[in-house]
Amino acid sequence: VAKTSLTSPPWPEVKLPDPVEEAKYHAAEVVRKVNGLISAGHYGRLFAVVHFASKQWKITSEDLIMMDNVLEAECGDRIRMEKVLLVGADDFTLVGRPLLGKDLVRVEATVIEKTESWPKVNMRFWRRHNFQRKKIIANPQTVLRINTIEIYPCLS
Amino acid sequence: FLQHFRGRKNRCYKLAVRSVRRAFVKSTKARREKKRFLRALWITRIEAASLEHGLKYPAFISNLVKSQVELNRKVLADLAIYEPKTFKSLAALAQRRRQEGFLAALGDGKEPEGIFSRIVHHH
Repeated sequence: VAKTSLTSPPWPEVKLPDPVEEAKYHAAEVVRKVNGLISAGHYGRLFAVVHFASKQWKITSEDLIMMDNVLEAECGDRIRMEKVLLVGADDFTLVGRPLLGKDLVRVEATVIEKTESWPKVNMRFWRRHNFQRKKIIANPQTVLRINTIEIYPCLS
Repeated sequence: FLQHFRGRKNRCYKLAVRSVRRAFVKSTKARREKKRFLRALWITRIEAASLEHGLKYPAFISNLVKSQVELNRKVLADLAIYEPKTFKSLAALAQRRRQEGFLAALGDGKEPEGIFSRIVHHH
C-alpha cells in the first residue's frame, strides 16, 4: 500500500521502554548506585524543599528562615521538620511523591528569635466621602536556623 | 514618613498630609497585588526554563501534578535558577509522564470490533 500523508499520524511515534525491564534496571543499578553514594558520603552540600507553615521553602544547612506566625516552641528548641518534598545534592536528587519517607531524610532546625514585624500601616480612604480608617499591624515573626540536613541510605 | 518625597510635599503640611495618605493607601493595595505579580514572575521564569528543555509550561505543570509531585511555583523557579540539573530531571519526568499519557489515550491502534470503520484496506 502506498504511503500517503495520512497513513501514519502526524506526531512522532515514541516507543517507551518496557516497564518490567525498567523496574529491574532501576532497582538494580540506580538504587544501588545512589545508596552507595549516600553511604560513602560522596555528596557536598545538600539542599531540601520543605513544606512548613503552609509555605514551601528551599533550604540548605546554616540557613535562616523567617515565618510570619507564632511557633509554640521556645527560643533555642530543636525542631525536626517532616514533610520533605525534595532532597538533592550535586550528583543525585530524591524526588518525593509527594513526600519523602521520614527514615530517609532528617532536617533539624533551631528557633532563634521570636519578634514582631515592623509596624505596617493599613489605610483605607475614599475621597469626597469622609471615610478613612488607619490601622497599624505588627505581625509576630519567628526566625529559624536550619542546622543540618541528613540522608540515610534506605532506598528500595 | 515623607522625607524622600519630591517637591513641596516633603515640606508643607497640607500637601504632605494628602500625599502621605495616598502613600499608605497605595501600599496597602500593593501588598495584595504583590502576590499576583510574584506568581506571574515565577510562571514566566518556569516557562523560560522548561522551554530550554523542550517542554511548554502547561505541559510541564500538568504532567508534574499528574505524577504526584507537589512543588509550588516559587520553589520551581528557585530550582530552575540555582539547580539546573534538578530542573532538567524534573523536565524529563514530565516528558515521560506526557508520553505515557499519550500512549494510554491512543490505545492499541487497532479498530474497534463489530463496527464498520471507514478505512478500507486494499491489498
